[in-house]
Amino acid sequence: MQYIAPLAKLVEHFRALPGIGAKTASRLAYHILDMDSDKAKALANAIVDAKEKIGYCNTCCNLTDTNPCHICASTNRDQSVICVVEQPRDVAAMERMREFKGLYHVLHGALSPLEGVGPDNIRTKELLARLYSGEVKEIIMATNPNVEGEATAMYIAKLLKPIGIKVTRIAHGLPIGGDLEYADEVTLSKALENRREI
Amino acid sequence: MRVKQISLHNYRNYNALSLEFTHNLNIFLGQNAQGKTNIIEAIYYAAMGHSHRTNIDNDLIQWEQSKAKVNLVFDRMMVENKLSFNFSTEKNKEIIYNGHPIKQKDLIGVINVVLFSPEDLSLIKGAPAGRRRFIDIEISQASPIYYKQLSKYNRIVAQRNMLLKKIKERKSSKDLLESWDTQLAVIARDLVMKRLDAIKKLNMLANLMHRKISTNKESLEISYIIAGLEDNIVPEDLNTWYNNKLSESREIDIIRGNTSVGPHRDDIILKVNNINLRSFGSQGQQRTGVLALKLAELEFIKSETGEYPVLLLDDVMSELDANRREQLLLFIRDRIQTFITATDMNYFPKENIGKYYHVVAGKIVE
Repeated sequence: MQYIAPLAKLVEHFRALPGIGAKTASRLAYHILDMDSDKAKALANAIVDAKEKIGYCNTCCNLTDTNPCHICASTNRDQSVICVVEQPRDVAAMERMREFKGLYHVLHGALSPLEGVGPDNIRTKELLARLYSGEVKEIIMATNPNVEGEATAMYIAKLLKPIGIKVTRIAHGLPIGGDLEYADEVTLSKALENRREI
Repeated sequence: MRVKQISLHNYRNYNALSLEFTHNLNIFLGQNAQGKTNIIEAIYYAAMGHSHRTNIDNDLIQWEQSKAKVNLVFDRMMVENKLSFNFSTEKNKEIIYNGHPIKQKDLIGVINVVLFSPEDLSLIKGAPAGRRRFIDIEISQASPIYYKQLSKYNRIVAQRNMLLKKIKERKSSKDLLESWDTQLAVIARDLVMKRLDAIKKLNMLANLMHRKISTNKESLEISYIIAGLEDNIVPEDLNTWYNNKLSESREIDIIRGNTSVGPHRDDIILKVNNINLRSFGSQGQQRTGVLALKLAELEFIKSETGEYPVLLLDDVMSELDANRREQLLLFIRDRIQTFITATDMNYFPKENIGKYYHVVAGKIVE
């Protein structure tokens, strides 16, 4: 096939995206060429718009198009609890639950010396800055249950100890609605370790 | 555990090969570089998810081919199972277990094998890492959770070591160590408790085997050495002990850039008649020790899983003398399905003990 520069460029851009290989990239590119001009423009505008209008909330560091974000600005939310997560998508997951009425703080990562991520590379300073008003009574560490997330939770807990704010860690254990027999051994042993009296 | 069938496509030097095995001894005979070990390697791979000869999966794919396939049919607790591996130079390998794709970490324990190869003969003389690997492989097969804990532990140690180096270069603060140390101490305790438990069982079994091989002249004792521990300790106190030890050795660890205590530093000591086999044992004693250990491993896996594993003997017949060979064959005959590679038919008794396969340049004649 003859080489068409704009098409090749488009394919390369798609290929650079996560989860997209050579075949999917070229399928997407050809699909876009088949689209109505209006629709293609709308897609391009949506990308530019998202990139230009969305930034980080000055308070919680979550993605937002307003500053402060709608969660931080809301008067209906409990200002005394902050749930600390690693990524903006974790906030989305928590919000889907519709149970949590407190605020969030997004770290944008977890401590990982191997990847060169230290406390200065995640938003710990921003978190500390939020605590001096005295309104916050509890910090819930909802970082991922892997070694990096665990280290981050422990580090922040230690950091906050002198301030005297209660720090809690989300529980690990069995998924609800699942069968005990299908749980993997590590989860099961964690669930056993964290059992409670009824 | 019994491997009934294997088929290989573009695997190493085999274009297309399909073999059915006997439940007894399967003996692969042939000159060097004909492909005897490739069969054993494929079975080992199916059990462990990696080869005992290379860490690069692409090495398994035949020269100038882009795909390879390995299929196994095996009985576990008398029930037939199927396992397939699809290798490709373009993407990661696929593992299919009874028709469903599974991940590498869920593969451990599906097929249990014990491999005995010439490298094992240096198990006693060699570095502690070899003995740790031995115990780790053994426990992982019996308890898949151990394998997961071990990879988690290794990740923590790698993170901590990197942090130590950064602290030394003044790019990071010492305050950060605690969050890794706390996690390390918890998993270190879990791993060591499981290793102590396994060593206890193995010690008993290996001593039995050793007495048999040495016709009651010698007794073998296996013990676990926790790095940095001077007194006795009850396993329940290990968590606190590791926490203290990690903070004590912090300064040295920073200078060295690595973690000086933990199961990744421990060792296993073998003694015959109370004499350390590593430093003072003769070559013959060391070989008997290794053989006893390998036979004990078979019994250990049986006691943990209810079934003997498959035994893979890669080129070891020539390394054992006539007496040890006889003891070995006596132990496995009619009891354990075994795959053996050898260059010489004379290592085996005349009577019918299994099936012979003659391997010539990637082709097999039964």
